[in-house]
Amino acid sequence: MLDCGMHMGFNDDRRFPDFSYITQNGRLTDFLDCVIISHFHLDHCGALPYFSEMVGYDGPIYMTHPTQAICPILLEDYRKIAVDKKGEANFFTSQMIKDCMKKVVAVHLHQTVQVDDELEIKAYYAGHVLGAAMFQIKVGSESVVYTGDYNMTPDRHLGAAWIDRCRPNLLITESTYATTIRDSKRCRERDFLKKVHETVERGGKVLIPVFALGRAQELCILLETFWERMNLKVPIYFSTGLTEKANHYYKLFITWTNQKIRKTFVQRNMFEFKHIKAFDRAFADNPGPMVVFATPGMLHAGQSLQIFRKWAGNEKNMVIMPGYCVQGTVGHKILSGQRKLEMEGRQVLEVKMQVEYMSFSAHADAKGIMQLVGQAEPENVLLVHGEAKKMEFLRQKIEQEFRVSCYMPANGETVTLPTSPNIPVGISLGLLKREMAQGLLPETKKPRLLHGTLIMKDSNLRLVSSEQALKELGLAEHQLRFTCRVHLQDTRKEQETALRVYSHLKSTLKDHCVQHLPDGSVTVESILIQAAAHSEDPGTKVLLVSWTYQDEELGSFLTALLKKGLPQAPS
Amino acid sequence: MDPECSRLLPALCAALADPRQPLADDTCLEKLLDWFKTVTEAESSLLLLQENPALVELLSHVLKSQDMSSRVLSFSLRLAGTFAAQEDCFLYLQQGELLLGLFGEGGPQCWAAWSVPTVRSGWIQGLRSLAQHPCALHFLADSGAVDTIFSLQGDPSLFVASAASQLLVHTLALSMQAGATGCSGLWDGVWPACAQKIMGHLEESLQSTAAPQVTQALNVLTSTFGRCHSPWTETLWGQLCPLVARLLERTPIPAAHSLVDLLLSVARSPALSSSHGRLWEAVAQALRCLSPMQAGSLALGMLKLPHCPQALRVQAFGVLLQPLACVVKATAQAPGPPGCSMWPPGWLDGAEGSSLTVDTLLSSKSACVGILCQTLAQLEELQPLPQRPAPWPQEPLLGAAVTILRLCHGSATSSSSGGGRLCATLAGCVRVQRAALDFLGTLSQETRSQELEKEVFAVLSEYLGSPDSSPTVLKKAFQTTLRWLLSSPRTPGCPDLGPQPLLFLRELFPVLQKRLCSPSWEVRDSVLEFLTQLSRHWGGQADFRRALLASEVPTLTQQLLQDPESYVRASAVAAAGQLSSRGLQAAPDSPEHPQAQQGLLGELLCILSTDSEGFPRRAVVQVFTEWLRDGHADVARDTEWFIATVLQVVSQDLDWEVRVQGLELAQVFLVQRLGQPRCPYMVALPEAASATPIPEVLQSLCRLRLFDFAFRALLDCDRPVAQKACELLLFLKDKTAMCGGLQEAGDIPGSASGQVTLQRWRAGEQGQLPGDLQPEAMLALLRSTDLEGLQARLAQSSDHMEKSPQSLLQDMLATVGVLGENEADCY
Repeated sequence: MLDCGMHMGFNDDRRFPDFSYITQNGRLTDFLDCVIISHFHLDHCGALPYFSEMVGYDGPIYMTHPTQAICPILLEDYRKIAVDKKGEANFFTSQMIKDCMKKVVAVHLHQTVQVDDELEIKAYYAGHVLGAAMFQIKVGSESVVYTGDYNMTPDRHLGAAWIDRCRPNLLITESTYATTIRDSKRCRERDFLKKVHETVERGGKVLIPVFALGRAQELCILLETFWERMNLKVPIYFSTGLTEKANHYYKLFITWTNQKIRKTFVQRNMFEFKHIKAFDRAFADNPGPMVVFATPGMLHAGQSLQIFRKWAGNEKNMVIMPGYCVQGTVGHKILSGQRKLEMEGRQVLEVKMQVEYMSFSAHADAKGIMQLVGQAEPENVLLVHGEAKKMEFLRQKIEQEFRVSCYMPANGETVTLPTSPNIPVGISLGLLKREMAQGLLPETKKPRLLHGTLIMKDSNLRLVSSEQALKELGLAEHQLRFTCRVHLQDTRKEQETALRVYSHLKSTLKDHCVQHLPDGSVTVESILIQAAAHSEDPGTKVLLVSWTYQDEELGSFLTALLKKGLPQAPS
Repeated sequence: MDPECSRLLPALCAALADPRQPLADDTCLEKLLDWFKTVTEAESSLLLLQENPALVELLSHVLKSQDMSSRVLSFSLRLAGTFAAQEDCFLYLQQGELLLGLFGEGGPQCWAAWSVPTVRSGWIQGLRSLAQHPCALHFLADSGAVDTIFSLQGDPSLFVASAASQLLVHTLALSMQAGATGCSGLWDGVWPACAQKIMGHLEESLQSTAAPQVTQALNVLTSTFGRCHSPWTETLWGQLCPLVARLLERTPIPAAHSLVDLLLSVARSPALSSSHGRLWEAVAQALRCLSPMQAGSLALGMLKLPHCPQALRVQAFGVLLQPLACVVKATAQAPGPPGCSMWPPGWLDGAEGSSLTVDTLLSSKSACVGILCQTLAQLEELQPLPQRPAPWPQEPLLGAAVTILRLCHGSATSSSSGGGRLCATLAGCVRVQRAALDFLGTLSQETRSQELEKEVFAVLSEYLGSPDSSPTVLKKAFQTTLRWLLSSPRTPGCPDLGPQPLLFLRELFPVLQKRLCSPSWEVRDSVLEFLTQLSRHWGGQADFRRALLASEVPTLTQQLLQDPESYVRASAVAAAGQLSSRGLQAAPDSPEHPQAQQGLLGELLCILSTDSEGFPRRAVVQVFTEWLRDGHADVARDTEWFIATVLQVVSQDLDWEVRVQGLELAQVFLVQRLGQPRCPYMVALPEAASATPIPEVLQSLCRLRLFDFAFRALLDCDRPVAQKACELLLFLKDKTAMCGGLQEAGDIPGSASGQVTLQRWRAGEQGQLPGDLQPEAMLALLRSTDLEGLQARLAQSSDHMEKSPQSLLQDMLATVGVLGENEADCY
């Protein structure tokens, strides 16, 4: 199973996948060899504790080391929000998250992991967020690459996705930005910094609601470097204790970040922020400008909502929403332009502060997706994680440019792909030696035809000489001969006819061994020709031609030749 | 319907009908449907449509317009079905030919949008909603919908295909229900036309050579027998039983998995009591000829039935035991080792003649692993059931589980070729190890011989000590060990452990010691969890105490309070807390552990105030609460100081769960001082439970700033904190109800400023309650605060506004036109 995510837009059963489609009565573990998680975002891992601890999957779970470290932080963050907000009882607990994480087998990039005798997986760097990976899944000679979310352009803290030319049968790629060629990231960053700067310059406060990990770190680096460059003194706060752990992991997994960060790591760790300090609840009332990163990211509960309520009434302030908000949340409402919000107890909150949306999500754009398809050279492409209309555009583009089939199934739809798998066959040494003995040296680039008997035994295929096959299988040899009668107009005796046939063949088939045997029959290699009188017509002789399977070609040729008749005898 | 919603509906319907208006969020339409379902459950759909003509206009518009988005089209189909579920509304919609247009042959099936699975799914779900009354049934039959449903059973979309099957089941049941005649409502034996059509289709499908068609028919029947228990189901089975039996004669058996499901569904149906004879024959045949994997599932299902014939039970149990019998047989050293002789006569032989032999078991590694895991899980499921076979072959099963674990671990040797191959197949197989350990754990609940118990502890020792055991296997091994240790029989009247556990314990602690130093946090954590559980149960056992204290486990546990991994720190806190309550902590004068000097209490307080992670801090408060409950010596020494210190630290915590737990601690303290909360149904007793006089308690609460903590928590931005604080203050209010409360809040010094502070807090500002507040002021503040009202408000989910239909409609309308800017962008 590739990823095990959740839908944050629902609060009921619909937020998790309906696993009963896998099996209704059986145990899930019997139906799945493993679960692979591409990265720590909740739409890719949010249902994992539910799946492993509540639905009952008990098999292995694979993810990269950073994902294993960070995943529980986000799950815990989400659990707290869900329980805080709704007081939900039927929700996974901290203990379940821990027990789930204990089942995880962490993998390194480019390490081939043998899941079982038949299945192997390998992770590739995907950019997007810390620890994100694309996975190649291989069974025998057939393989699938699943990208998860990826980014083909490096950003401030991560590098670009990369995969080798692995030529999978199928590439399953995300297609969030299937039609977009993203505007320059620099522009967006400049825009963001300008807005923050202007607001604090005029004494306003900036609220940036974020989830504990991911985009928050990128924005922190952005602001930190800008503050440093501009020598700004306005305080920046990060409102949650989670950052410390997040930053710890960014430091720990420095090899997963981009080159620039890795290079400067020796002089200064990018994630040790000079300007960004921990937030205390009391600070929100402080006069003067400040920038606060607060969780959760959709302004639907907790601290970010509390700060928002305090600051919303002042037009000097600003809230910057750096990501998607689900319907019903305050984040969604203000993004859609609602300025009067009904809060608990029929209170109405008037939003006077400025509201900005600034997407920083790190997905590959259409160009990036095409680039990845070009890199991996798949036989087929399957688009997921996107909108149908945009996917359709990309599908056509991929099919045109790469001449491969591209699919975009709806949820729950089955796609069947024809493949021609390579089946490895062992060749016996005896057979090879015999082939060598014939004096034909093998050439590496030229395919060569090799005759033998294919034996399937214990799920193994071997090509051996027919003698060996007979011996191994305890079978007796049978010879198969083809026979044919050719009628010739010849009044002479049978022996003479045979002699004429011999002379004719001798002169025609110069490269073959033609013999006239004492019993009057003629042989060409394994082909035997006998002449007999016709029972009814004395003016006709019947040639009995027989040949073995191995000489079928020659046999057919001879019969065709003889059917044309013999040359006139010299007078 | 709420008038505000009624007001917003026309604009929303217009927006939905406008194909140029994309929808904000794919959840909106789902939520909108949810809301309409709730509304139509409470009021008349007909009235709703008449009062809100925009809804019918939307449906009509869908019919006319071909360029609707597939999502809105699907939504409209489902909406129409929801309304038409009520017969009068159905007739109303039919008059306008709306239903025929939406669900009839000339409807969406002819549109280009039909190729989108969402639309097909919406069509089926719409029909499923409306199929509630006889009129709907006629409609289904006349409109040609049934034939479309047949074809949709094979839809490439899993969801559509599944929904189509479910709709067939529903239609069949509805049709039979409508066919029931007379006042008795009993079925008169004549199949209604619609039901006949479906029956014909099912019969045809069952005879098909195409496996998918057979599967579809079997799935429909499985659901039918699972859901409908009316007498007609018996006739249905009687008619189809021969066709099902014929499937078992085919090679290979088609749709074996679905066939098993059907047989089980029929067997479980209470309506089929008199037709069971033919069923049992079919089951017996299936058990003989299905593959071991499928036969296993059928066998387990049969054994779970309360009324399965004995002969079939024996056959089924034999099937279930076969794989284990094969393992025992393959590994048996001639002549007859103990493992073999334990098996009931006939079972090992039976295995030989059955479909599963050692050779087939070993034909491929994945098949062997699959079947062993399944069998072990099935036997684990069967073991605790009252209807499990008796006598339960406890000893052979234990022997088999131990053998499998040894084979996986490589410690079993076998001279036979089958045994050798099994060794090679199972060596290091984590899946089988985990399944076998789980099963072994379940078997701990039964009586066992000393000899076998020794074997079990020996194999568990191997697993716990082996460097090859993976963290997940180790965790299972710890869980199994715990189950075996805790269920170990003791000599009556003697508090000591049995000889086997005692021997095992001596070996266990050095292993735990080693494991506590494991580089894998999963392992360290599992050991600590195990240790906590073990000490909780055996902390008072002299033998256990001796063995534990002779090891370095307590010291290592305390060292792990500084572990880099927060999960481990939290588990170490729990373990150290448990050991300490049992007087099993590390020697305090340990020179290499300077923190031991300050005592565990100090160290835990330090974690509570400085640890950057929530888990260890939460674990500390939990330990403190337990200590307070149990009267731990460190707490009892100066309880007031303890409470004051903990609450002060907790009130600053960023993690709301720590704050909730702090309130829990405060509540335990209050109960100890003031007695249990009064139960409204309890006969009033004199207030003798409270050991301390109330005024004195109140004084101390003021000194401890407990009021301050609770009132602040009352206005916490995290709802559970406020809820807990409310509960605590209500308890206090109740307990102090009889205590000198004649004065009004305003008359008491300090109370007014308290009120002001509360109001400021409510407005989100900072500040403190006056430090020198007297109990009277506190009481007055308590009484003047509307705690009951607050509790009711808090009980409502904080997102009740967010979830309200007005909010949904407003959000959907607000999105109209602005969407292009903020494109959906998930993460």
